Amino acid sequence: MNDSPAVLTEAAIAGLLVDTEPYLSCDECFERIDQYVDRRVTDPSHADPGMDTHLAGCGACAEEARTLEDLLRQDAEVTSTADTENGRRE
Amino acid sequence: MTTAERTSADIEASLSDPTADDDTWWTHLGNDGAMGDEALARLHGLLVRASRHQVWRLRDLLHGADADEIDDLAQQAADDAMVAVLRKLPTFEGRSRFTTWAYKFAVLQAGVAVRGQAWRNREIPLPDSVVLADTAPSPADLSEAAQLAQAVQTAIATDLTPYQRRVVLALLVEAVPIDVLADRLGTTRNALYKALHDARQRLRHALVASGHLESPSTGSTS
Repeated sequence: MNDSPAVLTEAAIAGLLVDTEPYLSCDECFERIDQYVDRRVTDPSHADPGMDTHLAGCGACAEEARTLEDLLRQDAEVTSTADTENGRRE
Repeated sequence: MTTAERTSADIEASLSDPTADDDTWWTHLGNDGAMGDEALARLHGLLVRASRHQVWRLRDLLHGADADEIDDLAQQAADDAMVAVLRKLPTFEGRSRFTTWAYKFAVLQAGVAVRGQAWRNREIPLPDSVVLADTAPSPADLSEAAQLAQAVQTAIATDLTPYQRRVVLALLVEAVPIDVLADRLGTTRNALYKALHDARQRLRHALVASGHLESPSTGSTS
């Protein structure tokens, strides 16, 4: 363990002052993240105040949401490309 | 082509689409025979893909790891995710697509694995005090940003419990990943996030009271 004082940067201050009300736990976020990202992919303007707030305040959950969204967008591209190729064959 | 080969080929074709519908997954995963085995193999393939994707996104955290080590990490995370998915399968309620639901377990396991590996041999900093980034007196000290920084420093020292102070400084100032810190402190990600949430509410409350924040939080402090 290290007891040296931490250095307070502007980025750290911004992170410290994020308003995370309404409270949502990481477990609750995990329960809902698949539904949330599914909807975000089909409707980028989709808002869920509880999830949006949690993701603004939790870096690990936010990273997981970004990865999940990235995967779904790749899947959509694969499906779209396959549909196009099938259409050409027909 | 035999009936068995046709069945296998049909399953492969129907599940090779990552957006295969949930009924297809349920039908095949619930089968005890070759159809079920093929579906399990397909499911594992999906989890490997999701795990690899997350590990590669976070690979900059793994200084010095080669491609084989990174792939091993992804495979292990996918195996762990497979166990979690099969355990949780009865709880799937269809609120998202099945593949999205399954992906999230692999993404979680992969992220935990990468962060754990990245911090495996590192000391966890747990400071209980904080200094400003620039402590030299200057006209900038009179700026709004400098006054806010000083107010935050004071609030950290006076408005947080010792435990909250160590948690927020480790997570947000020292950038220790939340699952790594939870593991080292013998607690959970959930518990640390709650401590972080409560500390943020206390800091915001103090800064609103001192006039450094304009918008009052509607939440309660802890």
